[in-house]
Amino acid sequence: MAVESPPVLERPVDVPEARPEWVERFVGQLLALLASLAIAIVLGSVLIVAYGENPLQVYSSIIDGSLGSVDGFGYVLSIATPLIFSALAVCVCFKGGMFNIGVEGQYLVAMVTASWAALELDFLPGPLLVVAILIAAMLGGMAWAAIPGILKVKTGAHEVVTTIMLNLVAVSLLAWAINFPLKFTVRPEGQNVDLRTDLFSQKGLIGDIGQFFGVTPGAHLSWLLFVAIAAAIVVWFLLRRTRLGYEARAVGSSPGSARSGGVLIGSIQLRLFLISGALAGLVGMQQILADKGYLGQAYQTQLGFTGIAVAFLGQNNPIGIIFAAILWGILSRGEVSLQIGSEVPREFIIILQSILILTVVIVYQIAKRRLAARQLQRAGAAGALEDSASPGESAGPRGPESAAAEAFEPADDTGN
Amino acid sequence: MTGVDGAGGNGSPPLVVLERITKRFPGIVANDEVDLELRAGEVHALIGENGAGKSTLMRVLYGIYPHEGGRILVRGQETKIGSPRDAIALGIGMVHQHFVLVDPFTVTENIILGEEGGAVLDVDAAQERVAELAEQYAFRVAPSAVVEDLSVGEEQRVEILKALYRGVEILILDEPTAVLTPGETQDLFENLRKLREAGRTIVFISHKLDEVLQIADRITVLRRGKVVGETRPAETSKAKLAEMMVGRPVLFRLEKPRVEIGEPVLRVESLTGEGKLNGVDLEVRAGEILGIAGVEGNGQRELAESLIGLRKPTVGTISLDGQEIGGRSVGDIRNAGVAYIPEDRHEQGLVLSMTLWENAVLGRQDDAEFSSGLGVLLIRKIKALTARLVKLFDVRTRSIEVTASTLSGGNQQKLILARELETDPKLLIASQPTRGLDVGAIEFVWKQILEQKAAGRAVLLISAELDEIYALSDRIVTLYEGRITGEFAPDAAPEDIGVGMLGGATAEVA
Repeated sequence: MAVESPPVLERPVDVPEARPEWVERFVGQLLALLASLAIAIVLGSVLIVAYGENPLQVYSSIIDGSLGSVDGFGYVLSIATPLIFSALAVCVCFKGGMFNIGVEGQYLVAMVTASWAALELDFLPGPLLVVAILIAAMLGGMAWAAIPGILKVKTGAHEVVTTIMLNLVAVSLLAWAINFPLKFTVRPEGQNVDLRTDLFSQKGLIGDIGQFFGVTPGAHLSWLLFVAIAAAIVVWFLLRRTRLGYEARAVGSSPGSARSGGVLIGSIQLRLFLISGALAGLVGMQQILADKGYLGQAYQTQLGFTGIAVAFLGQNNPIGIIFAAILWGILSRGEVSLQIGSEVPREFIIILQSILILTVVIVYQIAKRRLAARQLQRAGAAGALEDSASPGESAGPRGPESAAAEAFEPADDTGN
Repeated sequence: MTGVDGAGGNGSPPLVVLERITKRFPGIVANDEVDLELRAGEVHALIGENGAGKSTLMRVLYGIYPHEGGRILVRGQETKIGSPRDAIALGIGMVHQHFVLVDPFTVTENIILGEEGGAVLDVDAAQERVAELAEQYAFRVAPSAVVEDLSVGEEQRVEILKALYRGVEILILDEPTAVLTPGETQDLFENLRKLREAGRTIVFISHKLDEVLQIADRITVLRRGKVVGETRPAETSKAKLAEMMVGRPVLFRLEKPRVEIGEPVLRVESLTGEGKLNGVDLEVRAGEILGIAGVEGNGQRELAESLIGLRKPTVGTISLDGQEIGGRSVGDIRNAGVAYIPEDRHEQGLVLSMTLWENAVLGRQDDAEFSSGLGVLLIRKIKALTARLVKLFDVRTRSIEVTASTLSGGNQQKLILARELETDPKLLIASQPTRGLDVGAIEFVWKQILEQKAAGRAVLLISAELDEIYALSDRIVTLYEGRITGEFAPDAAPEDIGVGMLGGATAEVA
């Protein structure tokens, strides 16, 4: 009781003390993720029971379908691959305080440019052709992302609005491409022919790796998975270890301070959009290069939007995004087994995914506040408590935009 | 000078008694057996440095924090206050430093929010009541005005009216003058006097001693969670209060180092921009501190931002050591040797969500010392720099890995100072460098600024606090409506400078 003064105040600073902070954050995040998963599962059970089914049975059939067999897990990873790219694309922009909703359109355009490269550059030897196609895809995504980037920097047009509109344009652009310049020259056999490009030459396709692990070729698990994981590591490095990433995060959290520090905000924003677009460009590669071998009318959509959800789930941490995409893949794959194993409609999976996102957001927010409060208290400065520097407290006057951004932005600033 | 004596309530029983209140946060005893009595019809100042526990104590009384030890008596009865709602029911209201108003709503709509009384709004009746209240206590604010059009001072009045509308008798104001201009502060004091005359009790949390001496009837001083004394303005002085707060004598006038004033470093000619600057001419020499006095909003912010490159002047030249820097980028200007202490450290100084080491290098991330040619940060070097700066400037923190938001205001400012001065600038632009800081931190910042002068650097000091201008400047100019309206020696009478601040002194340029 007879405490004279808070002793922590006088403690000198030393660098190596950082470790526990880092560990604490990591453990905190892990616990938060497990807690949100648990809550989502419980809430999901309520729904299942309401539907008159046994939750244990439903969940085990989801697990069976996704993790119960090598094939199943192959499918999961294959679903995760494009989602990692698209979530990374969202994350890169988000760190700079921007919301790239245009990943969807960017990957559509990229599929067009990649198809063009696959068809026109097929004189290149195999490996070179693949690289050329991927580069073409990234350039296509970048070009499409450059438009909202430039509009934002030059005119202040909000990227949410411009990217949404450009998504629609991209759909038409793709339709035009397969109707005219890239339309097949060799008519495929059969009566009801899908509109599509010619088949790409075999050497331009991306090799299946599933066979090495005993995964069925039907899963289309390709080495793009490793590219995606590498991309996540590169993005992590970019954000955490480079000047560009540092400036981007400064712009994202405090544009005024960044500007006073000599950061050219427009240049950072444009570069982030270009990087985001390049990542988005790779989203569609699995479907045209590992699965179909051509670009047709029946391409897979929504990968860009799902990427936003995955980025959310991964709390905009590049490494977290890998796991979030796999988790998403598990649930998506479970959809298939669910239809076989129970009467619960497949939409249940979508509900479960949504609940998961909600619980993650809520639980992380709570965890973040608690961490911040602990940090504050341990920082020894009771003054900081009074100084209203506590992030939770000052949420009021900062306006809805930053509050929303905070909800999206977790305490993943691990510093290390 | 009103309220020479504690108006009324002296003999009466205390309205609120806090007895041996203890509030602990992990690792900290924020309030350690604090006793406090509030009487009807008094302005009771609660002073102490940041972290002394004054806001915490009042948040306990307002029901935001539960307390671990002690008891609270309101009107003689022991009471449990579990939430702000309970507090308001007991007639206790609190206005925080950060306002919580709905911007697109009118003043009245904001005031009645949560107290609408029925499903159908009777805005007219409410508006009348608000107008009455405003009239009674001389609050200058239109009940039908929309909040987003109001100044900070007016918003504060709305917050106070909100409490009064709920029938609050004991009004707690947490650092109310921190956001106000000197004029608005006097308006607020006028309101407070009226409230006191009407028998209401005001708790005035502050660390601005001049204001406390001016408005308070009684003063309680807290230091590190404990009451170190209670006094009255007539029995004490600024120096005595400061010593009680800090625990050691504090110098309000620091010795200005004697330095030979050198060549002009900064020369500004007919600087004009965005309607806020109308032809400013300035010169700051090496080893000189030029103080810019003026009522806020007369172009101070625009001037500072133009000099550092955040704004592009439309007309005029800015030269540093004879080299034109006007219109160049912030990075260029910083590289040319200009350091900047912004008036708003959260908006323009620090990235609160980033760590101390990330903040310590902000503005120098391009230096070859801190990032490689490929743009990879040299984190080890940055951390070494930060550890050194933190030690040198006595930034109190547990680690350099924590975010800047965990630092107290004074320590945040120290970090900015450390960062900016480390670059060995030719010119330091210090804009409201001690805003919101407590006495100890102010003294520290002042010393650092004087040290810049001693090192032969040029300093441009922009401050709304005339005290600060006097304490540091070698030469004082007044800024009014974007023009320099007078130049004064550091011993000029405050009245003369006051005239310049209001634009009337153009003729008597020294």
